[in-house]
Amino acid sequence: MPSAASRRPSPIAWLIAPALLLFVLFFVLPFAIMAAMSFFSSNPIGNPHAVMTTRHYERFIVDSAGIFHDALWETLRIGLVTTVVSLLIGYPLAHWMARMQSRLGHALALMAVITPLLTGIVVRTFAWMTILQDKGVINTTLIAWGLIHKPLPLMYNEFGTVVALVHIYVPFMMLTLIGVIGRIDERLEQAARSLGAGRLRAFVEVTLPLSLPGILAGSLLVFALSISAYVTPSLMGGTAVLTLPMLIAQQVGTSFNPGFAGALGVVLLSVSLVIVIAYNRILARLAGEQGLA
Amino acid sequence: MSAALNRRPFDLGKAAYLGLNLLLLAFLLVPIAIILVFALNPTPYISFPPVGVTLHWFDKFFETGDFMRSLWLSLWIAACVLVLSVVIGGACALALARGRLPGQAFLTAFFMSPLMLPAILTGLALFQSYLLAGIGRPVWGLIMAHTLIAVPYVLRTTLAVLHNFDRRIEEAASVLGASPARVFFEVTLPLIQPGVFAGGVFAFIVSFDQFPVSLFLVVPKGETLPVVLFNYMKFDLDGAIAAASMVSILLALAVVLTLERLIGLKAYVKL
Repeated sequence: MPSAASRRPSPIAWLIAPALLLFVLFFVLPFAIMAAMSFFSSNPIGNPHAVMTTRHYERFIVDSAGIFHDALWETLRIGLVTTVVSLLIGYPLAHWMARMQSRLGHALALMAVITPLLTGIVVRTFAWMTILQDKGVINTTLIAWGLIHKPLPLMYNEFGTVVALVHIYVPFMMLTLIGVIGRIDERLEQAARSLGAGRLRAFVEVTLPLSLPGILAGSLLVFALSISAYVTPSLMGGTAVLTLPMLIAQQVGTSFNPGFAGALGVVLLSVSLVIVIAYNRILARLAGEQGLA
Repeated sequence: MSAALNRRPFDLGKAAYLGLNLLLLAFLLVPIAIILVFALNPTPYISFPPVGVTLHWFDKFFETGDFMRSLWLSLWIAACVLVLSVVIGGACALALARGRLPGQAFLTAFFMSPLMLPAILTGLALFQSYLLAGIGRPVWGLIMAHTLIAVPYVLRTTLAVLHNFDRRIEEAASVLGASPARVFFEVTLPLIQPGVFAGGVFAFIVSFDQFPVSLFLVVPKGETLPVVLFNYMKFDLDGAIAAASMVSILLALAVVLTLERLIGLKAYVKL
């Protein structure tokens, strides 16, 4: 138990002021403005006839053309599939790296993860376009080998979108998992092995359950990031994919309807906030376990 | 270790495990290697297999006004973001770790939230706010938006270092008669420097590659490099994009190597 004296903020606490100012002015306030604008018929500053209205939300709920609900479901579906595939790819790699003995191997493997992470999203999406398009690497190779006669539809659909999204967000999953798996005491698995469990059984009954919080945290992170993605779905999905972020950009760019864009933004933000809160709860629990260790 | 236990010369389970992981690693790295192939391939459009090697696309990239203008703008913005986010994020990390603030867990989560909330919404919210404030779309507005996204990275690396370091070093300095200010400048600051610096490097990259936040905040003829590339890619897929991509990848690689030299990446992963 800290004493009363030690719980009083120290002078160092003032160092938080610049960050607080930045976040209030450029984060909290703008989001409040976005939410407020979603209840106005037009810009209340520029247009004196602007009135308070819930019509943007009604438009989303009624959805006469059947576009908006589809976009919401599509966003969530793409997010879910991306998360599951990222976990299936990220877990073995993270396990391998966390358990790697040689320092050089570890450094190289880590570079392999961080290099894609530091290669821009636009750039990596471009790479996947060159691989998956009709005249791309995969289709031309398969046709040259005589395995197919017509290019496979690998792009301008949900498949291509998910493949590129997985590539972009797997590193986030891995960075979360490497930390968690690395902290699991290897001797636990060895104990199970010496008591007669096979390698697979020792993993399934010891390591896997202990890494569950990491799986959950990584999955929430990847899900939050992939439902927010804009570049990849709009380049990889073509006209076949329409997600909420794409719809929002459309409303701002082509339809110039910032009020409705704000309403769509509030819908997307609500979904994200739920995920962020859950993620922080899990992180707090993880930190607590570390404190006990 | 287990080799002694297991006398079989070939272990199928281990081989499968290694094979699977090498395959997954290839999935991560091959697309990036492919970009290099197309950046050097002389055909006027993306075609496979490559037919030769040329530096023509790099020439095109460095001679196209739009590309170069946006490259310099992106570098300039990223440099400003680096300085701002290191100062703001570093100070914030110290306050969170040492300030004995009430609601510390909530504050940390709050300052980390720009990482997880849709960046396109941050861009939209700022766009609407600038519109409302009647300030148009100035470059400093773009820099502030990028700084907001970059601060969590600095915060993350700095907090990691602060949590891992031995408070007794500071205590020893004060016992030996150093003033609090002297302890801070001569002990604390040098110790957290690698964390702050690593965060700064990430901040630079995050700003340099930032797309969704920039989308609504750039003006015509004042776009950042990712926005220019994105618009170009909608109509045209040629080697110039690959060359531009290569330039940014080489920059990222240089940054990673610097990072590795300075602190070792392990510090960043232990979060």
